[in-house]
Parts: sequence; C-alpha cells; structure tokens
Amino acid sequence: MIDILVSFIAASLLLYVLLGGSDFGAGIIELLPAGRLREAQKEVINRAMGPVWEANHMWLILLVVILFMGFPTIFTTLMIALHIPMLALLVGIVVRGSAFVFRHYDAVQEPKTQRIYTWLFGLSSLWSAFWLGIIAASLNRGIIDPASRDVWAAWFAPWWGVYPLAVGAFVACIYAFLASIYLVGETEEPELKRRFVRLAAWCNGLVVLAGGVVFAASLGERDNLPAAFLRDPLKLAIVGLATLFFVVLWVFVAKRRTMLTRIVASGQVALILIGWYVLYAPNALITAQGPLSFYDEAAPPATLRQLVLALLIGSVFIFPSLFYLFRVFKRSDGPKE
Amino acid sequence: MDNLTAARATMAFSLGFHIIFAAIGMTMPFLMSAAHWLYLKKKDPVYLELTKMWMKGVAILFAVGAVSGTVLSFELGLLWPGFMRHAGAIIGMPFSWEGTAFFLEAIAIGLFLYGWKRMKPWVHWTTGLLVGVTGFVSGIFVVAANGWMNAPSGFDWVDGVASNIDPVKAMFNQAWFHQSLHMQLAALQAVGLAVAGIHAWLYLRGRAPDLNLKALRIAMVFGAAASIAQPFAGHFAGERVAALQPAKLAAIEGHFETSRRAPLTLGGLPDAETRTMKGGLAIPGLLSLLAHRDINAEVIGLDQFPREDWPPLVITHVAFQVMVGIGSLLALLGVLYVWFRRRGALPRWLLWTVVACAPLGMVALEAGWVVTEVGRQPWIIYGIMRTKDAVTPVPGIVYHFYLFLGLYLMLAAATVWLLRRQILAVQQKFGG
Repeated sequence: MIDILVSFIAASLLLYVLLGGSDFGAGIIELLPAGRLREAQKEVINRAMGPVWEANHMWLILLVVILFMGFPTIFTTLMIALHIPMLALLVGIVVRGSAFVFRHYDAVQEPKTQRIYTWLFGLSSLWSAFWLGIIAASLNRGIIDPASRDVWAAWFAPWWGVYPLAVGAFVACIYAFLASIYLVGETEEPELKRRFVRLAAWCNGLVVLAGGVVFAASLGERDNLPAAFLRDPLKLAIVGLATLFFVVLWVFVAKRRTMLTRIVASGQVALILIGWYVLYAPNALITAQGPLSFYDEAAPPATLRQLVLALLIGSVFIFPSLFYLFRVFKRSDGPKE
Repeated sequence: MDNLTAARATMAFSLGFHIIFAAIGMTMPFLMSAAHWLYLKKKDPVYLELTKMWMKGVAILFAVGAVSGTVLSFELGLLWPGFMRHAGAIIGMPFSWEGTAFFLEAIAIGLFLYGWKRMKPWVHWTTGLLVGVTGFVSGIFVVAANGWMNAPSGFDWVDGVASNIDPVKAMFNQAWFHQSLHMQLAALQAVGLAVAGIHAWLYLRGRAPDLNLKALRIAMVFGAAASIAQPFAGHFAGERVAALQPAKLAAIEGHFETSRRAPLTLGGLPDAETRTMKGGLAIPGLLSLLAHRDINAEVIGLDQFPREDWPPLVITHVAFQVMVGIGSLLALLGVLYVWFRRRGALPRWLLWTVVACAPLGMVALEAGWVVTEVGRQPWIIYGIMRTKDAVTPVPGIVYHFYLFLGLYLMLAAATVWLLRRQILAVQQKFGG
C-alpha cells in the first residue's frame, strides 16, 4: 500500500515539475528581453499553455491530498515548519494563474494592461519556482524542529540559508530550460524557433551552473552532496547518465527531432528527481529529531486502502482524459486556432 | 487579534471568497452548455454568441476558483494542523475523490475553452457539460467533508486519539446528504439569479434585447427551479440539525430554555447575559413543529449546554434570519417567474425585481455558511475537538490574514472589472 502511495507521490511530483514547471518556465521566459518577437512569443505561450495549465497544476493538488490523507503527520509537520515559504508559494500560484487568464481573456486587448499582466505573470512564475525550490531544499536539512517554539529556530531557520536559495535558483533555471525546449515544438515561425533553441542553450548552461552552486552550497549542510554522489556507484551512474543526456539532447536539437528533445530534456529533469529520491527515500523529511519516513508515518491501513482505491480508479479516468487533452492540442498536424 | 481569531478570520475570508467562485464554477458551465445545446439544435447565432460570452466568464472565474481552492487545501494544514493531524486520515477520502473530479474538470475546461475547431461539435459540447458535472460532483465531496465536522463518524475517539478508522463511514456521515443537497441547490440558485439579474438589467436598458432575453430565460430556468426547491431542502436540513446538533439549532433560534411548544422568533437579537430574546416576533409552537413535526415536541435549549460550549449567538441567529428571509423572498420570485413565463409575457416590474434580487442569492449562500460554521463553534469537530486546540502554533497569523485580505480584495476588484469589460464588449458588438 505504502509503496503504491510513494510511487504516486513520486509520479505526481515528477509530472508537476515537468508539466506544471514548464508553465512556470514560460512565465520566466517572458521576463527576458525579446525585442520585436515579444508579441509572437506571447501568442505561442498563450496557445501552448492555455488548454493545459490548469490540468498541469492539478498534480500539486494531488500531491497535497495524498500527503494529508495518507501521511497526515508529515503534512502537518511541513505546514507548521514551512508556513512562511508555503504562503509565499501560494501567493505566487494565485497571482500567476489569475494574471495568465486575465491576459488572455481581457475583452479589451490594450498594450498597457497587457504589459501589466505579462509582468505579473512572469514575476509570479519566477517567484513560485523559487519558493518551491526553497521548500524542497528545506525538507532534508535536519533543521525542521517540531518541538521548538522559538520564532527563529522553528519558523525561519528551516528554510533560511545559501543552500535553499541555491536550490530555488536551480528550480527556476530548470523550469525555464524545460519551457524553452518544449516551446521549440510549439511554433513553426523560424525566427521564434531559433530564439527558443538559443534560450534552451542558455538555460541549459544556467542549470549546470546553478547545479554546481547547489553542490557547493551543500558543503555546509547536513548532507554533503558531492561526497554523497561520488561515493556511491548508483548515484554516480545517475550523474553520468544525466551528463550523457546533455550530448544526446543537443544532437536531437540539431536534428530538429522535437519529440525526442522533449523526452530527453524531461529525462534529465527526471534524473535529478531520481537522484534526490535515491538520496533520501524512504524519508519524506529529516527533522532535528531524525527522519520522518513514509513507512512510519502512514495513516491506518483502512485509510490507505481507500486512498489507493481512489487513486487507481481516478487514474482510469484521469490518464485517458489527459492523453486525449494532449493529443487534441499537442498534435503538430492539428489545425491552428 | 490573537492567533486563534486571526486563523478563524483567515479561514472564514478564504472560504467566503472561494465559495463564490466555486458556486459559479459549478453552475455557469450548465448555463453555458444549455446555450451551446440550443445553438447546435437551432443554429441561431445569438446562442453561439451567448455561449462564447459565458465561456469567457467561466474561464476567468474558474481560474480564480482553482487558485483560491489551492490556497484552501494548503490552509487546512497551515492554519489547522491540530485538526488535520487527526482528521486527514479519517476524512481525506472525500478530498481524494474531490481531487479526482477537480482534475477531470481542469482537463474538460481546457478541452472546451480551446477545442472549438479541434473537436466534432457534439464531442466539444460534451466536454463543456463535463466541466459542469465534474464541478458539481467535486462540490458534493467537499461538502461531505464539511458534513463530517458537523456529524463526525467513522472512528472511535479515545484519549485524544482516533482509532478504528472507517473512511467510508466518515464520508457518508449523517450530515453529508442534507448539506450537499442544500449547498448544490444554493449554488444553482445564487448563480442562476445573479446571471439572470445582469441580463435582465441589460435587457431593460435596451441593450442587445434578443441576446439578453435569451440569456435571462436560460439562467432563470436554473435560478427559479432551485429557488422553489430550496425551502424544502432547507427545512429538511433544519430537521437534521435539530437531531444532530441541538446546540446549533438553539443558537440559530435564540432558544435558551428547553421547553415544549417552543416558539419561533422572527427577527430579534439573542442576549446571552440575560438569556432572553430581545425584540422580534415569537410564534408559539412553531419551532417545535418545524424541528420535530409536532407542535408540543420538546426542543432542547442552550440551558442544556455549558456556557463555554455555546456558539456565538448573535452572528448565528442574524445570519440564519438573513438566509431564510432571502430564501423565502427568492422562492416567491421563482413562483412568480414561472407563473408569468407560462402565461407568455414577462412584465417589466418582474424583470426589475429580478435585477434587484441579483445579489441576494450569493448573500444567502454566504449567510448559510456562516450559520453552518459559526454555529458549530466552539468545536472544529463537533463534540470531539475544539477549534482552539486545532490552531497552528505558528505566531503572527494576523499577517497571513492581512496578506490574503489584500490579495483577494485586489483579485476581486480585478475580476469584477474584467467581467464588466467583457459584458460591455459584447453589448457594443450588438449595437445596444
């Protein structure tokens, strides 16, 4: 039961980062200077994101529901210790979704208000990506202290520091990277295609750079990432594979194999999450008192059975519908609006 | 503001904000599908225009509903970890089903909004209808979870720990049905009447008369039918509350002393100090009759409960009076509308009344939730856990409150402004 639930958590997280993340990445890209391509880029992003962003956002909801039903202690510990970053993330999510929809559905499309929406959409996307990274970094630092009621130690220290900042920046770079790779296949306009390829190259460089900073920042943390990854052959293999994927990715980009570039880029991001998983599973978080494992903190079996049942039956409906959604809108030979 | 008050204010405000968009998200797709169906059947382009106009409203309002709903799912833990630690495992089940329905709704809305040229017309129409159906179903699940807080079941509570958890029994608690029925009707009623009111106003002002009259008629099918059905659902809910939560009923009615042939007081204000109702019109025996179907039945009063277990009396009583007052008025409006509609012509005074009543459904819906939530206090899980024992230990929740107060007020203002632009654009197109 718990294994199935942990798989669902891992899958939801992966899909949220890949699909939801690229939607945030699109917002980040719109913050960058685009010159005369700005309008065309906006149209492509509207068309690419419009039909799917709400479904992509649902992976986060699913994650929250699995946590609070199946692992209530883990959920509440997180929500208490990380109240501030969670709140920051929520503000970003609210502003991002509203600004994106307002921009598209404002009956009067005038440059001034459109600029405001774009600016809000971009900033809130960057903001949300950043805080999600901070939250992710805070889980396993061993600083979360459910016993403490000291304002600094209990509610600031868990997410404060260079390492969470670095992970925040890393996530923002990953999102922008995914968005640029995905967007290459969303337009036939050669100039715009070139721009997205160029952006993807830059973002790929930034991902590597930010990744390096994360590794460096982790030297002062509970888990020294370079040591952890170099010592264990499995983790080393993951890093090796991710490096190999870089080469493969750019070969496919050069050959204009849209679908394959998307798969390889997604694979790279999946490897990062797998690396994280290998490092910490089956612990959901590590507090000052020790790790909280999914296996120790699960709800009673009757609840888990119902949760698994709901997820399995839900999957029977959700996956075919999602497949249909993406087939209708992401088929390259489909008619254009 | 102390932390508990701030957390309650935040939750009340977040829910009060979200519930408007949730009600719209559950109802508007049905209106939209009805217009779309008429277009596909009759090929009258006015219905197409109407469908697209409502669709744009749905797109904007659904997005705000989805993000404010996300906030709520986090706030359950951010504000009430003491509750979620125990309740998550017991009452997570309706949330997991709600999540599934909501997921499907998000997929359906993507297909409908952007699929005009990509799907066969009737397949496309079906996706629009599915937005409504999945939204409606997810609403039922969420209300079932709230029902459990009023009528907790499916577990044993020993020394502050839940055991023998049965999530199915918890989901189908004794309050899920009457609460869901009452709420889903309220959503149809409030949104149907609000939409009808807007179009009635535009119609009366001479703007695009054909479009607005058609819109009004579709919206009133839902608004009038739900308004006529609602008093029956409300009465049924009242009977259930009398059986399940006598303290809530006593607070609603300002009923202090347990008595037979208990009176129903219209208006008035309960005074907790003197334990009397100030003012109002007392109708002898009516409360006994309504609560227990017997004019001589005994109705439990607040005297049966320790003072610290009383809900806030004035808020609960006034909110209830507002809800029932409006509900009665709207039922009358519904009957009048059906009467005149069957005779063929809608007199202008009736349309002006529809305009005047446009916001009332939403007011009643909010008032009803105030009755449910404030009337349950001081409990978060009725009779099991007190709200003060569930609140987060995080200090300074008041800033959380101000942050979302500001954010949501701006969002509300922006939404209203956008919808106004939307309506004006369509009216201009029709040369009104």
